[in-house]
Amino acid sequence: MEYVYSILILVGIYVVLASSFNLIIGKAGLVSIAHPIFFALGAYTSGLLAIHFGLNPFAGAAAGAAVAGVFSLMISLPSLRVSGDYLLITSIGFQLGLLQVIKNLELTGSQGGLSNIPTPIAGPQRGWVFSAVALAAAAATVLLIRWIVRGPYGRAINAMRDDELAFVALGRDATRIKIVIFAVGCALAGVAGAIYAFYFQYLSPDQFEILASGTMLTMVVVGGMGSTWGPVVGAVLLLALPQAITFLRLPLSYMAPLQGMIFTLLVIVFLFLRPQGLVAPEPPAPLRHKKP
Amino acid sequence: MSAVLQLEGICKRFGGIVVADDITLDLERGQILGLIGPNGAGKTSLFNIITGVVPADAGDIRVNGESAAGRGVHERARMGIARTWQNMRLFRTMTVLENMVVAPRQYAGESMARLCFRPAAVRRADGEACEQAAAILERMQLGHLADSAVTDLPYGQQKLVGLARALMNDGPCLLLDEPMAGVEGHAYETMRAVVRQEAQAGRAVCVVEHNISFIKDLCTSAVFMSAGRILERGRIADLLASKTLAELYFGT
Amino acid sequence: MFDPAVLAQIFWTGLATSSYMVLFTIAFALVLKVMKLWNFAQAGMMAIAFYAMYAAVNRFAWPTAAAVVFGFAIALAATLAFEIWGLRTLRARRSSSLLFFIFTLVCSEFAAYVLTLAFGTEPVPLFPEILSPVRLVGQIAVSDWDLLGVGMTLVLGTALALYLRFSRDGQFLLAVSDNAELAELYGISAKRVYLVTFSIATVFVCAGMYLYGSRTAVIPTAPLQLMLFAVIATLLGGMGSVTGGAAAAVALSLLQSYSVLVIPSRWQGLILYVFLFVTILFFPGGVRRGFKGA
Repeated sequence: MEYVYSILILVGIYVVLASSFNLIIGKAGLVSIAHPIFFALGAYTSGLLAIHFGLNPFAGAAAGAAVAGVFSLMISLPSLRVSGDYLLITSIGFQLGLLQVIKNLELTGSQGGLSNIPTPIAGPQRGWVFSAVALAAAAATVLLIRWIVRGPYGRAINAMRDDELAFVALGRDATRIKIVIFAVGCALAGVAGAIYAFYFQYLSPDQFEILASGTMLTMVVVGGMGSTWGPVVGAVLLLALPQAITFLRLPLSYMAPLQGMIFTLLVIVFLFLRPQGLVAPEPPAPLRHKKP
Repeated sequence: MSAVLQLEGICKRFGGIVVADDITLDLERGQILGLIGPNGAGKTSLFNIITGVVPADAGDIRVNGESAAGRGVHERARMGIARTWQNMRLFRTMTVLENMVVAPRQYAGESMARLCFRPAAVRRADGEACEQAAAILERMQLGHLADSAVTDLPYGQQKLVGLARALMNDGPCLLLDEPMAGVEGHAYETMRAVVRQEAQAGRAVCVVEHNISFIKDLCTSAVFMSAGRILERGRIADLLASKTLAELYFGT
Repeated sequence: MFDPAVLAQIFWTGLATSSYMVLFTIAFALVLKVMKLWNFAQAGMMAIAFYAMYAAVNRFAWPTAAAVVFGFAIALAATLAFEIWGLRTLRARRSSSLLFFIFTLVCSEFAAYVLTLAFGTEPVPLFPEILSPVRLVGQIAVSDWDLLGVGMTLVLGTALALYLRFSRDGQFLLAVSDNAELAELYGISAKRVYLVTFSIATVFVCAGMYLYGSRTAVIPTAPLQLMLFAVIATLLGGMGSVTGGAAAAVALSLLQSYSVLVIPSRWQGLILYVFLFVTILFFPGGVRRGFKGA
């Protein structure tokens, strides 16, 4: 049973991650790959606060989200002033640079990772309580993003993606919209990090490397970039896949690269044969238009 | 009467090419100024400089006496400079109405804070924008197309939507970049009527246009540009009568 | 500690170490300059080139020269396939820069995974022996590897400069990098130029991996890190300036070497990222252009 719970929790966490990543790259068209580092920021923040101050998990998640959101400004403020390409490079540099810091600080457990994060609940209910929380967070994320993109804000994002110059010439502040969307997406990744930290109680810096960016990209691209439900489908599918491979009973040293190979191959195949992903982007919400 | 839009000594060069050489120009309420000249004279570039798309090397731009120097594209639009584009630049995944609703000078829906804390006010502003858009579309006889995707419309109507979107900005200054290129028949009449109405309502309009009959019809005065400089300004008839200009314009 | 002999030694070793970095940076900057593409697939090219050479030397026991040719041939085939079946399709569809980026990065990751399956995650050097003979020049220790690295970089760099300046193909390359559409109008085939560009980049990548691999053990994901250095150097050198990128690569390597004197070694890796941020904050057009503008 614990196995099923841990899968459910991972599904919840990855739905949050893929959906928020999709908000950034698919909906707003911002080229960043640093999503795993915001996941890490949320995880380390909430984990450290719990270890050292015994902070309650909900406050921890809020702190994780806040830290991830604020750190996102460190990338978006300088680079969005310049051009799109810059965000990409800054995001890579930020991700790897910050990981380097995490790997070297005593505080974050260095290379060995951060362990002994206290669990907020123990005992037999732990599994289903965490599953419920993770799935609720996933649902809340999807609904929040749906609310953002279907309303007036989403209309603005759409217009910005269609033609940024025309959009700006109408008086819209595209830079601010991008910074806000980026911060919201990153803060959501921070929440996912907090759930991860409290359930697994151990964080290793290696799990937030560029290869993790690849996993999240796969979920978004295969699921359907720019569609609200696509990343959900992508996350569920790509978490089910490794479980399916487990039944092949291959030695562990083959498992990880084989899985990675399948993931990346999927992305390549989808990019060329079905660029819209499994779930095509839905048309924007119809505008309620009262005929006079 | 003071000018709505004032350009003073605007200069701009790209490498060796001069696109604006000491341009000084006033645009007044109710005026429709034609901006004519051969291709590459710097007419569209002048629009880009006024709207802030391209920063000027020197010179000042004032809207109702307030300097726009150092302000970004979106800030200038909010100061009341509305423009259209030669190739329209409509939002192609959106309907006609949606294209227009994101276009007012102040758009309540672009502030996440307001969306979260004052949703009712945003909804009200959105509703008002819808009504304003519907009224403009009605005036342009496009009311029945409000919910069509812009890419489904014929070219002439897309041009009209481009103008309609610019009109959502109720600012004092309207810049039209080749509004008539590729527009014929019914759409032509509508375009002409609407531009005239806007000027009568007090907007200052500046038109870049190659269609001389449209310019003759509408404009009270015109400016002739070549190689980034204003060569002549005055009444349309006088400008067209000038032999040197005709040669420059139509070639020899 | 600040003994001139030590400083000189650090300078020489840093310069020698910069050799492969310069080669990788030239490959990266050249592709960016001509094709306007941030080619993150370069890490894949690097990994493929290395493991092809490794297999030739250690599994087939081929002589070094044959191994290098084999590595180049395999890497070139992979690169051209990537261009012809991958990038061309994306270009024809006018894909967004995001898709180009995803595609190039994922190709690198795919290569890393396939190579992990084939060769494992154990670090392996190209040759069993990674120490090369050392002699003293004055008070400075100079190894054969150092000389090979510096020499190879100088020769290849000069060859590229001459090629761009004097050959017809080189002129075409510059024309396309200037304005691809205009060049096309003058009858220069951008497609062909892109193939040539990738071939040149592959030469530099192979040379770089030969140097790197003959001194350091490699794992399939190592090239990703190495490529990042090239990306940062390219950025510092003013995006798309090949000489600027190469100069930045030398400067960064020297800086990293000298920093041993003042910064604890475990923070060494961070210097690169600090530089990246300083560049982005203060010199968004690259360092040279930044100074010119000021």
